Amino acid sequence: MRPMGTEAMPVEERVPLHFVLNGRPVDTWAAPHETLLAVLRDTVGATEVKYGCGEGVCGTCTVLVDGAPTNACLIFGIQVAGHAVMTAKGLATEGDLHPLQRAFVSHEAAQCGFCTPGMLLVAYAFLRDHPGATRREIRAAIAGNLCRCTGYTRIVDAIAACAGTREAPAERAE
Amino acid sequence: MYPAPFAYHAPRSVDQALALLQRLPEAKILAGGQSLIPLMNLGLARPPALVDVNGLPGLDAVTAEDGHLRLGALVRHHVLETSPVIQQYCPLLAEAAALIGNVRVRHRGTLGGSLAHADPAAELPLVATALGATLEVRRADGVREVAADSFFRGYLVTALEPGELVTGVRVPAFGRGTGYGLAELVRRAGDFAIVAACAVLEIEGTGRCRRVSLALGGIGPQPLRARRVEARLTNDVLTDRRIAEAADAVPDEVSPDSDIHASAAYRRAMARVMAYRALVTAWTRATRQPGRSS
Amino acid sequence: MTMPRTTSDDAGHPSPYRIIGQPLPRFDVVDKVRGATLYAADWRLPGMLVGRILRAIYPSARIRRLSEAKARAFPGVAAVLTAADVPQNARHEDPTGLGLASFATPVLAAERVRYQGEPLALVAAESEVQAQAALEAIEVDYEPLPGVFDVDAALAPQAPRIHEDHDNLLIHWKCQQGDLEEGFRRADVIVERTYRTQRVDHAYLEPEAAVAWVDGDGVVTIRASTQVIEHFREIAEMLRLPHNKVRVIAPFVGGGFGGKEDMTVEPYAALLAWKTGRPVRMAWTRQESLLARPKRHPFTMSYKTGAAKDGRLVAQEIRLMADAGPYPLLSPRVLFAALVAGCGPYRVPNVKIDARAVLTNNVPTSAMRGFGAMQVTFAYESQMDLLADAVGLSALEIRSRNFLRKGDRLPTGEHLETQVALPRVTQEALDALGERAQPSSPSGRVGRGFACNIQPYGRTIWFRDRAHAWIGFEADGSLVIRTGVTDLGSGQAASLAQIASEILGVSMDRIAVHIGDSSLTPLAGGTFATRQLYMSGNAVLKTAQDLRALMVPIAALLLEAAEADVQFADNHVRVVGSPETGLALARVVTECARRGVPTSQLSAFHGGHASPIDLETGQGKTFPDYTFGCHAAEVEVDVETGTVRLRKYVACHDVGRAINPQSVAGQMQGGAVMGAGQALMEDVVLDEGTNLTTLFANYLIPTSLDVPDVRAVVVESGEGKGPFGARGIGEPPNGPPPAAVASAIQDAVGVRLVELPMTPERIFEALRARGEKASERGAGGGGT
Repeated sequence: MRPMGTEAMPVEERVPLHFVLNGRPVDTWAAPHETLLAVLRDTVGATEVKYGCGEGVCGTCTVLVDGAPTNACLIFGIQVAGHAVMTAKGLATEGDLHPLQRAFVSHEAAQCGFCTPGMLLVAYAFLRDHPGATRREIRAAIAGNLCRCTGYTRIVDAIAACAGTREAPAERAE
Repeated sequence: MYPAPFAYHAPRSVDQALALLQRLPEAKILAGGQSLIPLMNLGLARPPALVDVNGLPGLDAVTAEDGHLRLGALVRHHVLETSPVIQQYCPLLAEAAALIGNVRVRHRGTLGGSLAHADPAAELPLVATALGATLEVRRADGVREVAADSFFRGYLVTALEPGELVTGVRVPAFGRGTGYGLAELVRRAGDFAIVAACAVLEIEGTGRCRRVSLALGGIGPQPLRARRVEARLTNDVLTDRRIAEAADAVPDEVSPDSDIHASAAYRRAMARVMAYRALVTAWTRATRQPGRSS
Repeated sequence: MTMPRTTSDDAGHPSPYRIIGQPLPRFDVVDKVRGATLYAADWRLPGMLVGRILRAIYPSARIRRLSEAKARAFPGVAAVLTAADVPQNARHEDPTGLGLASFATPVLAAERVRYQGEPLALVAAESEVQAQAALEAIEVDYEPLPGVFDVDAALAPQAPRIHEDHDNLLIHWKCQQGDLEEGFRRADVIVERTYRTQRVDHAYLEPEAAVAWVDGDGVVTIRASTQVIEHFREIAEMLRLPHNKVRVIAPFVGGGFGGKEDMTVEPYAALLAWKTGRPVRMAWTRQESLLARPKRHPFTMSYKTGAAKDGRLVAQEIRLMADAGPYPLLSPRVLFAALVAGCGPYRVPNVKIDARAVLTNNVPTSAMRGFGAMQVTFAYESQMDLLADAVGLSALEIRSRNFLRKGDRLPTGEHLETQVALPRVTQEALDALGERAQPSSPSGRVGRGFACNIQPYGRTIWFRDRAHAWIGFEADGSLVIRTGVTDLGSGQAASLAQIASEILGVSMDRIAVHIGDSSLTPLAGGTFATRQLYMSGNAVLKTAQDLRALMVPIAALLLEAAEADVQFADNHVRVVGSPETGLALARVVTECARRGVPTSQLSAFHGGHASPIDLETGQGKTFPDYTFGCHAAEVEVDVETGTVRLRKYVACHDVGRAINPQSVAGQMQGGAVMGAGQALMEDVVLDEGTNLTTLFANYLIPTSLDVPDVRAVVVESGEGKGPFGARGIGEPPNGPPPAAVASAIQDAVGVRLVELPMTPERIFEALRARGEKASERGAGGGGT
């Protein structure tokens, strides 16, 4: 096992990184070993993307990369160069909540809220591809996003209430 | 929490990638990253270099050609799950892919990566074994084919030599009379299986089972073909009872270990149950096709 | 099916309140869906360093030598601290409040390691990579020592002592009432069983994190994911600073459940910030949290219960044993709550309970939702089911004959002061299960079960609990509430706004709530022990009422009406019955200011007090009050594999008065699922003190596919000690699930498990042992 901090360890050299975040271009720098999660949180300041486990299991780091739900902790920042990334902050339009977000509020589908940004994105991508999904299908669609507070029922309620709604403009790349 | 620094390489062609792998024997291949990057996040893997193969052209194609389905190594699990070509010619792959991890893992994880990672509790190595898949393996100075049977050598160990890259996988296309079944025992949906069984069989018009393949996972360091069980069923006219009796032979063919998830005894007992379920499902599918009498 | 079915009070009247009882959307949820909420790790300050902890790799060892010289020399490293660098390294605690079981718990281990993962040293560096490199460069020379890894071994005469000058027996609570021997003589049936529950991890989605810095006035400030901001005192003691030089701020917390009730990152982040003079962020990895964070106590519970042939309980002898890990933390209090709740919500005239906590070198154990009263539910409810079988009564009938009622005595001799709505709660839970499901496969068997529980709310009485709140009007009539509550996600802050809105007539959108700052908000006590609504809710209620009383005379003057006829509502004051009258609150505020009448108020609510219990007999007043509930479950068991699928689940509790019915139901649903996880799949697996489940991939908590829709039925008896008659609901729903599920499994396949978690393998083994053919053959192969 290579110990950290030895001469055999490459220097943390940063390279330019350009990608689109919630519809806006981002020009920044990243070292290859920085995951997209680290780049988003520490460099770009998108703290709505959370660290929960680093194993790809919990789902709190979910982002959409070119519309696909992705573990931000399991992809390097430089791998999204030239691609479009969407976070939960890309759901709202001009400050108006997306119908999914409104449904989460009215159904109280969030308690501590830590799983919520990731949950919203998975739900958004799922409804986009499966309008009119059943409760059972919704429940299966969110099975990869853990929640410890709500017990999931209200989350399914909120998503089911929205089945049939889609589209947030921030998802498209420039 | 964050990976150790590495030298990053993003080759533009397979030849470039292979040259890099030959030059840097300690480099790791970055495909889907869903198995590698967790290890790097935990500090358990610290490769000095990564060769990112995601940009290599032509490795994500799915084509049907004379009785076979050819899949590029970079075909994502999500594509396996949803491709109409796969649904038509090898729906077993679609069913298996849908069971992998979660939706996020399925959008990045690749067929080649999963096979090269060789986790004995994973779905794709099991299915590749059951299908009798052939892997196309390239190196800087040539290409070779490896049968799935001989590809998985141990826990996370494959027949891949340093400098080699899986570039494609070939599986026989399902024809008339082919049935498949996949049964896995998991603690939660999406978890690695405690025990899993995958059966593929061909039933002739007479009802005779021409060919049967039964692979078991989670019962040792690599997936296993249950040859004795297969032998009992080949050339037989299958019935539920015959299948059950054949499945009874499974516990004798496996020597699983105990771990925090399950004891050896439970794994042995469940291997039998999963084998039976996979075989029955395969048989039901094979005999329930248009033009057949049930 | 999932909206709470709220029943009105007993008289059948609708809720008499305008705001209380409304399922209003919570303001914090809006920010959470926007992704705008800044949790502890989301905070950025210029020059911020990364803080990490070096943790011991052995569960029991002596540290011969620790050398940090190399680490200090690394590029980017700002500080490396060991025990010698901590001004006051030993933290003295009095967890019982009675001077029993006091210990010195080190902040950083100096010479002795007592559990795997115990903190040894701290590093602060410019980047994650540099911090990791520095950690690895610290050289530790361990001498592994024999350790003690189970309670029986720890109590054996020659057992190595975890602490030199203390017995391994940490605490022994006792309770006796009546004449136990006589009770058993009179019993027609006696059931004796031993039950075991496992270590559980809180597994909140937000790992522990804090940012600490030293502000311009030299105040060491820690913005931490915590349930308790009052820890500023302990941090000050550690740094040998005056208490007023340490400030703890709690942002919204991403789940607590008792796991952030003790200090987690706070002292370490504070030390590094104090030492370097720079801001430091410390965020634990999930694996670190799973490894070393204190867990729920595993309990071994031996119950011997006697009943008459008509089902009435006549004797209950209980022995509880819990593994406390190497440091007391909150273990004494967890065992105390278990003692008080040990007999369940039933009348028993002859009782003897012994509750012990024992020190070992296993991972520490401390608070987790339910706090001892949770574990015993599995035991006492299982006993009731077994007794029902023994006397030939239904599970419902035997409970009905024994349910506590208002005025009855608990084993501790105290009388229940509020209504016990168990008959109604139980009936509602059972009714809500609906039609029995059909099995979904030939090897599936469907079964149903239910379980009732009692859970204390509010802190132990002799702690003299109190909470403060400050409420004030702005000149424009908008309202500010300041209170040191911490909000863990169950609407603690939003409920307070509802209470103030009800009394002072300010609309919800014109109320700002500031919480969780030990320097700027009046202290309210931490969010634990299901005390927050009871204490802070009452504090806000009292403060609002006190403020209203100050302003009513002025309002009356302006309205030219009698004080009794003044109504505060919709941002106005009005004469009752004359809707056309009405002055904006802002007008009243201005007039008050003109006349020198205060428009703000600071008040306290005191939770009552009493002398501590008698330590020999366990008699005395313990908790302020209790919440009662019943959960009903329907399961399908696959007899070939032992897997259990939850088909239906109902949670029902009497919450007294639901301030926000939607939030209350949400707590019930979440608690039920957390309990289901403990029932079926969660387990912190240790092998000779080594933790084998340190990955989120291995520590299994329920996903959306592991549980059905949870139906929450909210019952309001109207009686409770909280504001408007509310009772606490945070912990109660976590108790019944394991017993309800065990009961349902028994109904489905005829085996009763006495150990948690009830994994497929354990059920499979139980079926096999019972002689049943656990692997049926094919369709038509037997079984219904």
